[in-house]
Amino acid sequence: MSRRSLRTEAIVLRSIRYGEADRILHLYTPEHGRVGAIAKGARRTRSRFGARLEPFFHLSVNLHLSRGDLHTVTSADTLAAHGRLRERADTLDAAARACDAVARLFETDDPSPAVFHLLANELRLLDGDPVHARPAAQLAFRLKLLVAGGFTPQLASCASCGESDHLSGFSGAAGGVVCTACEASAFPLSEEAHGFLVAALGRPLAEAPDAGDRALRQAERAIAETAEHHAHVHLRPLARVRRHQSGPTIRVPG
Amino acid sequence: MSTFAPPVQRLITELGKLPGIGGRTAQRLAFHLLRASEEDALALADAIREVKSRIGLCEVCFNLADGPRCRICSDERRDAAVVCVVEEPSDIIPIERTHEFHGRYHVLGGALSPIDGVDPEDLRIAELYRRVTGEPEEGRDPIREVVLATNPTTTGEATALHIAEQLREKAPQVTVTRLASGLPVGADLEYADELTLGRALAGRRALS
Repeated sequence: MSRRSLRTEAIVLRSIRYGEADRILHLYTPEHGRVGAIAKGARRTRSRFGARLEPFFHLSVNLHLSRGDLHTVTSADTLAAHGRLRERADTLDAAARACDAVARLFETDDPSPAVFHLLANELRLLDGDPVHARPAAQLAFRLKLLVAGGFTPQLASCASCGESDHLSGFSGAAGGVVCTACEASAFPLSEEAHGFLVAALGRPLAEAPDAGDRALRQAERAIAETAEHHAHVHLRPLARVRRHQSGPTIRVPG
Repeated sequence: MSTFAPPVQRLITELGKLPGIGGRTAQRLAFHLLRASEEDALALADAIREVKSRIGLCEVCFNLADGPRCRICSDERRDAAVVCVVEEPSDIIPIERTHEFHGRYHVLGGALSPIDGVDPEDLRIAELYRRVTGEPEEGRDPIREVVLATNPTTTGEATALHIAEQLREKAPQVTVTRLASGLPVGADLEYADELTLGRALAGRRALS
């Protein structure tokens, strides 16, 4: 392989129309982090890329490296198409938000195999069972993403004074849970929400815990504030409407 | 400081705002217009002025129209009971070229993308629901089928799923269909991607 080309695994985070029939891709790779690439003629119906460059595809791509930021896709082979997650609105939305969170938190070309494998696992789970699109599972993914980025919130003791009892709030600025004495800049975090965050960190993604809606809202706020204060990234809020319903029926007439 | 006279620089700047036109192409187009006859150059200017002053959106389907209604909505021969939903007015042209569709259209004005901040309120989805659930025009059948012809992209699929789900609640009597996914005629199976080929297999038809 020449030095001007690169063969790598990649997940398509985003695919943007460009020019007459091209696409600009945001790819996430295990060894080269986030990579930008152009796929020429990808929108033509007879393009050799077909649907492969749509978001959520897990690919083996060949890139022709340019001196600038945008490489050129010369070939793409599918490793996982994740076709089933595209058949439901909730899994489609969860996959889009997962890719968006990765794109926002990890926008450099620093290698991060852990992030890549976490995202690949999340897409595989969403493709396998729509139960993984529930808000609790999406929050567990975001929390693990923060950990992979080195932004683990402190949950065992007060992030300000180290006190391990009377933990009643969460402070993004302090970096974790805080006790009643230190909660000046914090928001209240219920015992259930605290338990959810601890369990979500400890369990595999496939076994993400559940919690009540109020606790999940608090957990989401804790994750969002951690990302804002420490990664300077605003994560899109989760969609909370119309979850866990069967997919719409699109009937063929006649 | 620009090397061109201000009117030429202004023309280059304006042409450079067009999609797919970079600085060098804008410069080339500007020099082409300078070389063209006055008649040809002013015809282009008049065409732009006319289209901006006369063309609006159809009050029924939001296609481009030079009056209150577009030519398709004004055509009495078109089947008003079948509505094809597309993202943009330009999507109507390829469907019309097939000569297979004889119904009417509804143009959404884009596709849902919550990540980019495009929510249902930003598209003409509420107008579609009103059109489907409202009283039909006098002497016309109510809408019996909605064909979702949004692009087979992630955002297009998300839009189709959202509309299908809403229509199932708001108008259960209406059949909601989606354009079939499959292989382009003349393509080789060898080069087909797994998702498209998988859908082509799932949607296979018996040969009569």
